[in-house]
Amino acid sequence: MKRERRQKIIFFVVGLVIFIIFLFPLYWMLVTALKTQVEIFEVPTPLWPRNLTLEAFQKQLSASSDTLRGFKNSLIISVGAMLIATVLSIPAAYGLARFRFKMKKAFILTFLITQMLPSTLVLTSLYIAFSGMQLLNNYFAPILADATIGLPFSVIILRSYFVSIPKELDEAAEIDGCGPLNSFFRIMLPIARPGVVVAAVFSFVYAWGDLIYGLTFMTDPTMRPITSSIYNYVQQYQTLWNSTMAFGIIAIFPVILIFIFMQKYIVSGLTNGAIKA
Amino acid sequence: MKKKTKKLRSGTYLGFAFTLPALVYMVIFIGIPIIQNILLSFKNVNVYTFADASQQKFIGFQNYAELFGAPDSILTKSIGNTLIFTVASIFFQFIIGFALALLFNKKFPGCNFFRGAIMVSWLLPVTVAGLLFKFIFARSGGIANQMLMALHFISQPLEWLLHPDSAMVAIVIANIWIGIPFNMMLILTGLTTVPEDIYESANLDGASWFQKLFYITIPMIKPAIISVLTLGFVYTFKVFDLVWVMTKGGPVNSTELVSTYAYRLSFEQFLFSKGAAAANVLFAILLCVGIFYLKTINSDEEM
Amino acid sequence: MKKNILAALLCGAVMVASFAGCAQKTAGQSSAGSSGKAAVSEAGGGSKNVVIWDYFETDAQKEMMQKLISGFNSSQKEYKASHVYVPFADYQKQLTLAKASNQLPDLVILDGCSMASFISMGLFQDVSDAGIKWDDYIEGPMKSTMMDGKHYGIPFATNCTALLYNKDLFDKASVKYPDENTTWDEFHAMAKKLTKNGVYGFGNAATNTDEGTFQCLQWIYTAGGSYTNVKAGADAFKLMQDMIKDGSWAKEAVNWTQSDVNNNFMAGNLAMEQNGPWQIPVIKKSAPQLKYGVTVLPKRNKDAKQATSILGGENIGVIKKDNSDGAVAFMKYYDKTDVMVEAMKAYGSFPPKTEAAKDSYWTGDPIQAAFIKQLSTSIPRGPSPQWPQYSTAIQNGVQQAMTGAKTPQQAAEDTQKAVDAIK
Repeated sequence: MKRERRQKIIFFVVGLVIFIIFLFPLYWMLVTALKTQVEIFEVPTPLWPRNLTLEAFQKQLSASSDTLRGFKNSLIISVGAMLIATVLSIPAAYGLARFRFKMKKAFILTFLITQMLPSTLVLTSLYIAFSGMQLLNNYFAPILADATIGLPFSVIILRSYFVSIPKELDEAAEIDGCGPLNSFFRIMLPIARPGVVVAAVFSFVYAWGDLIYGLTFMTDPTMRPITSSIYNYVQQYQTLWNSTMAFGIIAIFPVILIFIFMQKYIVSGLTNGAIKA
Repeated sequence: MKKKTKKLRSGTYLGFAFTLPALVYMVIFIGIPIIQNILLSFKNVNVYTFADASQQKFIGFQNYAELFGAPDSILTKSIGNTLIFTVASIFFQFIIGFALALLFNKKFPGCNFFRGAIMVSWLLPVTVAGLLFKFIFARSGGIANQMLMALHFISQPLEWLLHPDSAMVAIVIANIWIGIPFNMMLILTGLTTVPEDIYESANLDGASWFQKLFYITIPMIKPAIISVLTLGFVYTFKVFDLVWVMTKGGPVNSTELVSTYAYRLSFEQFLFSKGAAAANVLFAILLCVGIFYLKTINSDEEM
Repeated sequence: MKKNILAALLCGAVMVASFAGCAQKTAGQSSAGSSGKAAVSEAGGGSKNVVIWDYFETDAQKEMMQKLISGFNSSQKEYKASHVYVPFADYQKQLTLAKASNQLPDLVILDGCSMASFISMGLFQDVSDAGIKWDDYIEGPMKSTMMDGKHYGIPFATNCTALLYNKDLFDKASVKYPDENTTWDEFHAMAKKLTKNGVYGFGNAATNTDEGTFQCLQWIYTAGGSYTNVKAGADAFKLMQDMIKDGSWAKEAVNWTQSDVNNNFMAGNLAMEQNGPWQIPVIKKSAPQLKYGVTVLPKRNKDAKQATSILGGENIGVIKKDNSDGAVAFMKYYDKTDVMVEAMKAYGSFPPKTEAAKDSYWTGDPIQAAFIKQLSTSIPRGPSPQWPQYSTAIQNGVQQAMTGAKTPQQAAEDTQKAVDAIK
């Protein structure tokens, strides 16, 4: 008992130290957001602002309608991308993990290939395509584009996840008389839940953090995601550091909330475990 | 015997059917642009020929030849930079992420909170993270130098992003910070698929921590590890936003990656075909990585 | 189970929102941004839309655009102007994509030095016979709106960099202020004297973007070189390397933007800076107690003429479309001297017409007057459709000299080779 308890304390301390080191840049971001522009450039700059000012945050929140609208746009785009990516990737991952068919290797390679070009270079083709489909300044343009970021990733991750589920379960299901579709929905899917949650979360976060698709396909500023607001502070002639940092904090705030909320599901999914002996 | 053959036959079409929607989606939205990009790289589209389609002709591999053959070829340099950047990033991200995953796989007070908090670095939009680190690594006024000097590790402020030799170090550090949660998360998910009983019986057999790690954990999560490494390589190799925001490829091309070079060629110098050619070089390199990945999962298939 | 409900809710929310977004957009589909093939589209009340793109982001600039647009709209009934903000960092990319897919605005306000490239890409309309008195315009800015003798728009705003100095730091060190007679040697000496206690004598922006070229090219020209003959300006490389080596020119310059430079100047880290008139309102707001003066940049030596500076600023370009009358109407509205002068006062830049620049608003204020003085010997970058490549080659060379990677002579020669290689 005592040994276990000592171990837990050691782990706690290690965890705390790692937490402090790792999160220091974020602390620094917060501190910078609370300083005045002049104080930021002092040498040496104080670790905690002498003239603590909420000016940067105030500016953001006073344009609150813009900020809220940016969040709304980001939310729509990210959820849309997440849904498309997850809905399409789950069966694809299952198909690639559990079945043998001729083109399988080619398929896996194709999914990998589609992730090999930086988005900046696929941009031109997508832009022309979307403009032809009259999808510019429409939420579907960045949704469809952002889904292409999350989809192949989800397929590959979920595939390795499905692969590690033992074949005995398949066979047990078949003995029980489940057809392949049935066994997929009733048995595989619930077991793969942690993997699915992870894939969905990744797709959402990648879409949320995307700047280039949301910015390029929406020339109407009222439809742009929150990430594009960074250009309010990174300007042609100057970078307003305190505002930029304040913006960063505000931009991830809702995502952090969602994440904390989802952590419970991730954790419960993980502790339930994939395999019941 | 009978069961297996039955599965094989129905498997062929069913597996195909399961996979098809996702595949079609990607081919439409990414596959076609990739092909267009390849075609573009074989033409001579630039600021002069852009407007007039009749002037755009196929010139074969000329763009590639010019990019590689230039004295002090920036393309060659950028390939080297990208490799260094990728390998260095992955090495540290993976090891640290793995260690953290092992740590957070255990239960102790605060583990959920700490684990969740570490994910925050990955939730931050990359452009903001890039700016944050650009700020941290400022030569004077940057907190990195300030702390290092306060702790007496250095007596003079370091150049970081200003000097060709140290700029790469700075962007790698930033990239490691951003990438650790990704590695940690995926490995953690993989770790949960390892049943507790295996460890219990190993403990009964008196296995050490070291043995448990290398003979049980790692083999059991091998597919997850390979996926993480491959994806990590592909994603890091094509990183653009972070480097663009921090250094734009400078100083003096010391942090020029293939992705930044391709962007620069296309959207700053209006040499569209050359930009497409550079992007294809990146693509070709990653293609080899992809094929290598295929070979490794091949052996796993026969589980 | 809870997760399924959550997922369903989110699903529903997205469906509803995207249909709402869809509906909103199909209603507005006919207006702003539609295909270049269609005629100038209709808005309410029978007047035709004129869509303007710009990258103006500060409050002062946005107000200026708003005033211009409302002024234009109320001055006539045929056209209704509106503007779309596109971030500066993305501007060229957006224009290129728009041209590639034919999703074009009617009029574009863009950085003067990039106009030549876009003229070459067929973005702009020949407006040589639009009835504008071309001779009224200052030659440098006007050249950047032309190619092969044809006009594609008019200059919008013009400015250049000059030398700003911190009077307090100079007084404390008992150094005489720089003025129009200051030579490079004197400049070097005073910078050196002022470099102490964490203060640099001089700093400018030498980042490896066109912003860096914008500032550093000046020194090459003042030394007798040009953008096609860099070798003749090799002395500039030498000055930069020497001053950085003895600490009088800030090393950080290679990573500084003009905003970074000004922030350091305002914080008292620089005794002198090279910067432009757009910093005047910034200094007034963030460092009102700072006592500073402005003068022209130092000349090469006693017998030389006033130093050259590089022109910045924006141009108006009329997009090539079947019907560009609305854009031409806006252009002629701006061509009116009083409209131009009012807008430039609000912007913090200078009007590109010779007479307009003599307005007492500028000639009466010593700080503004110094910039106007510098403007008289300022030249545009290029103009060339391949300016970005020249800019990259030149700035690479400058950085190599500044970081000490090459000797000044070697840097100049290698840059010349790179410049010659640009076809």
